Amino acid sequence: MTGVAPAAWPELPIPSHASLLAWGTDEIRDVSLSFITQGLDHPDEALFCFGRPGIGELLLRDLERRTGRDLSSDHREGRIVLGKSDPDVDRQLENVVGPLETFREKGFRVVRFIGIVAWNAPDFPPPEDFLWFESKVTEVLEGSRVICLCPYDIANMPARAIAYGALEAHPFVLSGGKLRANPLFIPPDRYLRDRLLDLPRLEAAPDR
Amino acid sequence: MSLGPRLEHNLRIVPFNWMGRAIQPRNKALKRDSATRSAGEAQTRIMGGADTGRSAVDSQRGGIAVIGSDGTVTWTDEAWTSTDDQDDLPRVPIGANLLDAYRDYADPRTRAIASAITAVFDGTATYFEIEHRADRESQTSFLTSVAALRGDGAGVVLITRVVGGREPTNRDRMPNVRATGGQSAGNGVERLTPREREVLDLMALGLDNRAIAAKLGIEYTTVRGHVRSVIEKLGARSRLEAVARAYQGGWVRKP
Repeated sequence: MTGVAPAAWPELPIPSHASLLAWGTDEIRDVSLSFITQGLDHPDEALFCFGRPGIGELLLRDLERRTGRDLSSDHREGRIVLGKSDPDVDRQLENVVGPLETFREKGFRVVRFIGIVAWNAPDFPPPEDFLWFESKVTEVLEGSRVICLCPYDIANMPARAIAYGALEAHPFVLSGGKLRANPLFIPPDRYLRDRLLDLPRLEAAPDR
Repeated sequence: MSLGPRLEHNLRIVPFNWMGRAIQPRNKALKRDSATRSAGEAQTRIMGGADTGRSAVDSQRGGIAVIGSDGTVTWTDEAWTSTDDQDDLPRVPIGANLLDAYRDYADPRTRAIASAITAVFDGTATYFEIEHRADRESQTSFLTSVAALRGDGAGVVLITRVVGGREPTNRDRMPNVRATGGQSAGNGVERLTPREREVLDLMALGLDNRAIAAKLGIEYTTVRGHVRSVIEKLGARSRLEAVARAYQGGWVRKP
């Protein structure tokens, strides 16, 4: 791995929902793999990889290649679960709630949840629905034993994705290896009223 | 407020040492403006009201630059490279240009933007975002939102500028409200069944399908069907667009 991932991970509160401001896919991959590895080193922690179809598999394959680990038994036994996005935002929320509930029932001490986000992607909810989803995730995690990290690619995602998603829908921001409480965070009970109902037309922004 | 043609550009300034990364600089080093306006205003969130409009009719991606701790701005991003040849992008130092332009106007919101920019250059704010709706022909620009984040003296600046467009209509002010093939939104809501209206009310409160099912005492899958039907009948592309239409049409009350 490169030197981008923090050498010593900051203490993430349990539960927590943090955005990762990362510069490009290389940094996202490095920090995500570091986050995952931290969890896999503890047998009482579980891992939930969420994102567009195939992204979780890619991450884990990359991890196996880099570290020489064999994750197949963890996957088989349900310690590692790969969750998939869905264009229907409520179904996407269900795709998160269900596995997290299963982890809880299995009694894992901590669940590491890596949610690779996408913006205006065909197999992802439309931007305004996705933002609602991000806000709901904070709500879903309340009272849980989950630490959730959502990487945002600031080199490629549009400014509004960073501003409204990474910065306003996450109580914590991880950047440059440092975790900060996020003063721009809008709590879920206010996010719909204060932000989503007043958004400009998101689809008007040309995305890469 | 009229900001004149020199502001007809889209500028996005994103981080530097928040990321702790070395970024390859391009050759557009810009000197900081030496303004010492109070940073206090910049730390206050200012949201444009309905009168300022929020329509993004057209937009362009902007450049990405690094602001050094001494206020030096260096362009770094491919997006800027790709837009170098566009006539509506500035050819003069961006930071100074924006500051001068914003300072020239007495409007308090405009002055607040100048303060926000200054605060970032002074290292007392790490992030702020501006969004505009602008009419090229009349050179009228509407501030739609400003957000500023005070930080540790280093970090992120985002400036989003929307260019082009027309006077905003009520429809423009809501997210993703599109033409519905001649079917008015009013007709859409009239087609909803009483149960769908109930579901819409709860969607508008921000409830997800499971919570709606619990509230109404019906099956989750039934709610999913109702939600799908509401979205379709209102001619929306998404759940949030349907909710936005409901507020826009006055069919539900703001939470």
